Amino acid sequence: MEYGSKVKVSYESNEFYGTLVESSDKKIILLKLESGYNIGLPKNKVKISTISKPNYVIKKSIEKKINSSLPNITIISTGGTIASEVDYKTGAVTPVTKTSKLLEKLPEIKNIANINTIEILSKFSEDLSVEDWTNISNAVYKELSKDNIRGVVVTHGTDTLHYSSAALSFALQNLGKPVVFVGGQRSSDRGSFDGGLNLICGLHVAKSDIAEVLTVMHGSSDDNFCLVNRGNKVKKMHTTRRDSFRPINTVPIAKVYKDGKIEIHSEYNLRHSNKPKLMQKFDEKVALIKYYPGMDLKLFDFLNKNNYKGIIIEGTGLGHIHSKFLNKISELIKSGIFVGMTSQANYGSVNPYVYSSGRNLFNHGVTYLEDMLPETAYVKLSWVIANFDSAEIKQKMKQNISREYSEASHPNDFLY
Amino acid sequence: MDYSSVGLKCGLEIHQQLSGRKLFSNKVSKLTKESPDSLIKRNLRSSSNERGISDSAALYETKKNLDYYYEIHNNNTSLIELDEEPPKLISESALSTAIAVSKLLNCTIIPNIQIMRKTVVDGSNTSGFQRTGVVGVNGYIKTSKGNVSINSVIIEEDSARRISETKDSVTYRLDRLGIPLIEITTGPDMKSPDHVMEVAKKIGMILRSTNSILRGIGTIRQDVNISINKSSRVELKGVQDINSIHSIIDYEIKRQKTELEMNRKEVSHVRNIKPDLTSKYLRPMPGSARMYPETDLPIIKLSKKFIDSIELPELIEKKINRYRSLGLNKEISNKLANSNKSFLFDIINFEEDPTFLARTLVDTTKEVRRKLKIENFKFPDRLLIELFELLSENKITKNSISEILERFCRGEIISEICQDYKPISDSELKKIISNIYNSKKDLNFGAIMGLVMKETSGKADGAKVAIFLKEILK
Repeated sequence: MEYGSKVKVSYESNEFYGTLVESSDKKIILLKLESGYNIGLPKNKVKISTISKPNYVIKKSIEKKINSSLPNITIISTGGTIASEVDYKTGAVTPVTKTSKLLEKLPEIKNIANINTIEILSKFSEDLSVEDWTNISNAVYKELSKDNIRGVVVTHGTDTLHYSSAALSFALQNLGKPVVFVGGQRSSDRGSFDGGLNLICGLHVAKSDIAEVLTVMHGSSDDNFCLVNRGNKVKKMHTTRRDSFRPINTVPIAKVYKDGKIEIHSEYNLRHSNKPKLMQKFDEKVALIKYYPGMDLKLFDFLNKNNYKGIIIEGTGLGHIHSKFLNKISELIKSGIFVGMTSQANYGSVNPYVYSSGRNLFNHGVTYLEDMLPETAYVKLSWVIANFDSAEIKQKMKQNISREYSEASHPNDFLY
Repeated sequence: MDYSSVGLKCGLEIHQQLSGRKLFSNKVSKLTKESPDSLIKRNLRSSSNERGISDSAALYETKKNLDYYYEIHNNNTSLIELDEEPPKLISESALSTAIAVSKLLNCTIIPNIQIMRKTVVDGSNTSGFQRTGVVGVNGYIKTSKGNVSINSVIIEEDSARRISETKDSVTYRLDRLGIPLIEITTGPDMKSPDHVMEVAKKIGMILRSTNSILRGIGTIRQDVNISINKSSRVELKGVQDINSIHSIIDYEIKRQKTELEMNRKEVSHVRNIKPDLTSKYLRPMPGSARMYPETDLPIIKLSKKFIDSIELPELIEKKINRYRSLGLNKEISNKLANSNKSFLFDIINFEEDPTFLARTLVDTTKEVRRKLKIENFKFPDRLLIELFELLSENKITKNSISEILERFCRGEIISEICQDYKPISDSELKKIISNIYNSKKDLNFGAIMGLVMKETSGKADGAKVAIFLKEILK
């Protein structure tokens, strides 16, 4: 029985006519009625007969036209659906990544830039690995190297978007063009899909002179503007809200509106024509450990036995953990493992001098990482270990390489 | 008019709001007149021509990209209504009500219900779609002119309320968004306005019998589909009062006849009923295809055991008969059966005077509320049960009930209030009556009654006073 066939189904004293659609539960057949509604009937209690086979409609796609007055931007998709197509006949929702289809869904694009689309991955972002950061860095670098490309937009799932944007902020040194990460919190099949505005705004930012790795996502629940955030100082702060991506320990670089207006709020690296330096290696043997009361000492033994090279601790408050861990941590550091401290409060800086817990940890060799986000610290450590000598690790971690540290903190930085 | 020679075919579509929580969120179904706590602005992307099938209504509604403003009241709007969170699982009480109604309409219950997303492009749903699912199909109701088929019983979300619009924007209020709706669609089996009215009233009675519906203006919407010989089906939206259905149908028949006479074959379309009961073109008839599965929700599996366990409510028409057999007159039986107090009446079961119980539950409580200007106050069931217990134990009198309820509303405690209304003993009462009668022999029966009632201030049962007074007069 082929999905998409027109069928007649007898169930109890009823006869239903409709289209057979795919059901994930094999005990149920799903039938799309003439009215458009789907109904599910138990397979073992129905009789099905085919009326006609499925017929496929080939749709003509829109021809792509180049507008020489507009800049060229590449959109690299890694899986965050930025547009999709609904086949009402079967109910299937298919992601759309090809240029021609994107232009159909978001026609405003043709007044903003000439786009070309490349699909390098199609994964939920929770399924991305450290290796994928390398792959994404390579693909972006390749596009950036082309003189006729003004900037790059990367579409990405929202779950680990801030990990990838942090990764690229280190992998692409001396960046002279914008690299913009966008995604969508709502599914792309619906009319209220937020990813459309995010992509439009992302394209505007990719044309601008903000030459950093950035995220562009809704700034509020309204469809009014997006926030341009530094990729290594942003975090997904709500499971589902459109405006879940908030700057942490800083204010946004800018606000961007769908007509292209950009309001600058803070400093950024300017566009220039020099080539970026690609340092795309990341080391997997790095751990991000959140401390919690009742934590077992032996967890650190595992890391030691399994050749981990670096650990970022999400401590409490100013960067503290239970004093019983002191000796264990000391051992790890003596055996060559880098241990860095961040705070699970996310906001604010860690500081080893205020309390004795911090002083002890610091004196035993833990490196305090100021106001860096735990996730960013983890990504940075993975990058530093892969690209530098072990003797340089501590110095590189403390160095403000891609503006991952804020020079000063301001009242507006908190819960922006 | 000879409706059969004209070839009249009518079908009904009824939407009824349910009480309780919203269909897919924990907010309460409640409309509000207060000014909003906040406002957000959104734009919706209208569906373009999807693969293969075009939808005339969607294309028609695709105007230039309007701004939609949504009014938020914190007591009825959550992130779900704002399309900032996925839906919660379907309200079990709404689903049970839909199943009960489907059973009462003799439908086949769909054992695996898939909630669908129905694309909506006018901004009345923040997500751009309405969640809807079919619960029962292929039913019927018995009428005086034979069975009328029930095509489907559907459970779905109501949309946001249109508040105002400008050239570039529409403002909606989110209080109504998500309120559960039961949609009942009949086949085109009604052949006259009388028949349509009979069917609408019967379906309305069945819905009210569930005791789970919202009451008031706008809580039920009725649309009628009409065609005559050689004409296409036209849907008339917004039958406010079912008693006006004759005029509505007659005007529409006249209009369709005129179109046919002028050789203008209309396509199926939707019209709005105007206050003068004629109608105005609204939009093309929507296609059926703009639906696809709501993948944020699992398919609702209904076991036979669960479906069978859903109790069917006693129909209002049966209740009315039951109350009449207890001695209640037509008016009070009707009122009681149609109110939400009938279950309380059955629990209290005041056998010595059921009419008095009925009147107390339906009329007296209302009067007290109106007098104290607390129309939204609900007397606790426990209170009314207790009062009638006291009454049957002769610890208070019937005519004290109204005052007791008033004093309760003013904050006094029942046990204390009732101390003041202990009935006077018969001997005491007879003494008072004869005293008043002897001092005012010239007054008529009614006037003496009045003075006695005043003197006893609620501690005497009026009926008893009348009996004793009659005895004295003899």
